[in-house]
Amino acid sequence: MLALAPWAVVRARADDPPDPTSIRPQIGDHLVYFDGPNDGKPIRVADLELGGPQVQAYPADPKGLLRDNSRLNLIIVARVGEDGMSEETRANAAEGVVAYSGVCTHQSCPVNMWSVERKSFVCSCHGSIYDPKNDADILFGPAPRHLAALPLKSENGLLIVAGPFNRRLGGEKG
Amino acid sequence: MKKLHISTSLAALMLAGALGAAYGADYSPVTDARLKNPEPQNWLMTRGNYQGWSYSALDQINSTNVKSLTPVWNIATGVDSGHEAPPIVNNGVMFVATPYSQVMAMDAATGDFLWRYKRKLPEGFAALHNTSRGVALYGDKVYLPGLDAVLVALDAKTGKVAWEAKVEDWKTGYYMTMAPLVVKGKVLVGVAGGEFGVRGFVAAFDAETGKPAWKTYTVPAPGEPGSETWEKPDTWKTGGASTWMTGNYDADTNTVYWGTGNASPWFGDQRPGDNLYTSSTVALDGDTGKMKGHFQYHQNESWDWDEMNAPMLVDFQKDGKTTKGLLKPARNGYLYWLGRNEDGTINYLNSQAYVPQNVFKSVDPKTGRPDVDVAHKPSTGKAAKFCPGLWGGKDWPYEAYNPKTGMVYIPSNENHCNTLEGKVEKRVLGQWWTGVAVPDLNFSVDTKAGFYGELQAYDVNTGKRAWRDLYANSMNWGSVLTTAGGLLFAGGTNDRMFRAYDAMTGEELWHFRTNSGVMAPPSTYSVNGVQYVAVASGWGVDPAFQQSLMAELVGWNADVPQGGSVWVFAVNK
Ligand code: FES
Repeated sequence: MLALAPWAVVRARADDPPDPTSIRPQIGDHLVYFDGPNDGKPIRVADLELGGPQVQAYPADPKGLLRDNSRLNLIIVARVGEDGMSEETRANAAEGVVAYSGVCTHQSCPVNMWSVERKSFVCSCHGSIYDPKNDADILFGPAPRHLAALPLKSENGLLIVAGPFNRRLGGEKG
Repeated sequence: MKKLHISTSLAALMLAGALGAAYGADYSPVTDARLKNPEPQNWLMTRGNYQGWSYSALDQINSTNVKSLTPVWNIATGVDSGHEAPPIVNNGVMFVATPYSQVMAMDAATGDFLWRYKRKLPEGFAALHNTSRGVALYGDKVYLPGLDAVLVALDAKTGKVAWEAKVEDWKTGYYMTMAPLVVKGKVLVGVAGGEFGVRGFVAAFDAETGKPAWKTYTVPAPGEPGSETWEKPDTWKTGGASTWMTGNYDADTNTVYWGTGNASPWFGDQRPGDNLYTSSTVALDGDTGKMKGHFQYHQNESWDWDEMNAPMLVDFQKDGKTTKGLLKPARNGYLYWLGRNEDGTINYLNSQAYVPQNVFKSVDPKTGRPDVDVAHKPSTGKAAKFCPGLWGGKDWPYEAYNPKTGMVYIPSNENHCNTLEGKVEKRVLGQWWTGVAVPDLNFSVDTKAGFYGELQAYDVNTGKRAWRDLYANSMNWGSVLTTAGGLLFAGGTNDRMFRAYDAMTGEELWHFRTNSGVMAPPSTYSVNGVQYVAVASGWGVDPAFQQSLMAELVGWNADVPQGGSVWVFAVNK
């Protein structure tokens, strides 16, 4: 009898339509600027500065419905160029642009800073550094895992989501 | 029962099951009278008393027998990150807050595990410091400020939630890490978020119901006293002055003393003016929260020198008279003597550097206002190096005052600096907004100095340093406990040690190597006539980050193992 109750709860929730503003990015979604002068506009490859830094974004469906109701959907996007990119990263990139989860794998802070010296993403809380050209490999700091990569393609200069995140999102605890 | 020693702990253990089940029936409610005069056998609040002394009158463990101090029980907390909460003890029941907003309750003598509260933090929640500096007790409840800026009241007997009160919206950058202060039936809390552009405040909630009672902002709105110190429009709205450490309380004058943090963003030229009440101590009415007085340690804050720790209430000798005073080793590297006036106003008496500091050219002997050397004041587009660096002469770890020795004990750090240069940045709600990025903090150390961390003792009447202990290979992040047994207890170093010192001479009398680094304040209590010393070990947050910088600068091992555990010691006779 005890085992039945949780099962019933799960069923009930599964029947609810998922909230489109908080589900993970879907194939075909656009990426929309979260801050900066273009806040709210879809990101175009040509807008991005070659060589970084990253911009922050949220996914939006083709009609423009923003999926920003979950912090786990924060995405960082950088045009780092194809030079020296690993195989894996090249496969997920579009025209030298890479996208990763913007949520640090240490304790979920936004990875919104840039190291000019290392041409890499830096977490704003405890300074973990991730290599954008090598599947967000950890170069420094307490982060335990790579950031999840978000596969991209480009259509008419617009960045489009080409697949789901390649690993689990968010920090270790909390 | 008075003679019960560790050798008889087996008998105690056999009783434990019965005690664990029955303890709820005899849990002793915490009253105003008990908080005002806490019994020596208990540790009812973070600093041990309202005066903030981190002192215990227990003396069964003393400088003669401390060498026989032995662990009697230990419990894993099951979480990593920085453990910064003292074990709080009420008549044989211990409560420990851990990182990620959890509380564990144990039988204080046997270590029997009674209950755990685990807060479910919102999806995607992130905090700069996932720590907790402890719970507060009142009546039959335990109060935990959740990281997500929600105050939670738990039933002390079961750990079940009695009520929850939203303090602020975590999505805007507010979070909570301090232990609450309970004053006359109200639970007082402050907020963190000085790196996210919040506007600080202290808020009070009814202890029984969770109903909000008052809220006093630490940055005045236009028209309020002090608002003229925010010369550029709107800068006050994001001005900082967070309130992330617990206040102290003068029950005689019904005055709460609370510390405030840095101004935000970090660079003073972006918010011209003195910026009251950043980096200050504010004095609040215990019933209404109305501001009665303040003292600002440095104006137009530009060094990330929060003055978040409330000063200790200490009566010292001044010009041959006993003076009701406030004593504070500030993050800016100076030790302050202030007057604690009847009406709640605070007046400056004296100060002196307790670590070398290159920012103040002098301090006005009347007002306490420093004359700042602009060559060492960072600003927008202009880099400046200042020492001590942003972690200050001391960060949040507690100093202690021992009325028997007349000394204040300061866990401090020196021979470190930062070089900062500000940028103008757009604020994104809930994100780092200081004007400088983490990779550009430019932390540096003087490698020829021979030490970094230290523990110092000063005579509170003369200001003379009595002794110090220097750490050649570690910073010091250890809160201090001092006792009537003539002892000091502290950890704080990267070698995982927990130490006992002779309070008079500074001689190290005992040490024990724990599982991780000790950053939490130790506490002491007694059950059935046996005195115990307890502390949580669990390294993380700023000390871990600083250690990784020291690994790059001087080759220390960046890996100080994490994972929390509570240790309890007693003298094995
Ligand atoms: S949350 Fe990113 S380094 Fe800690």
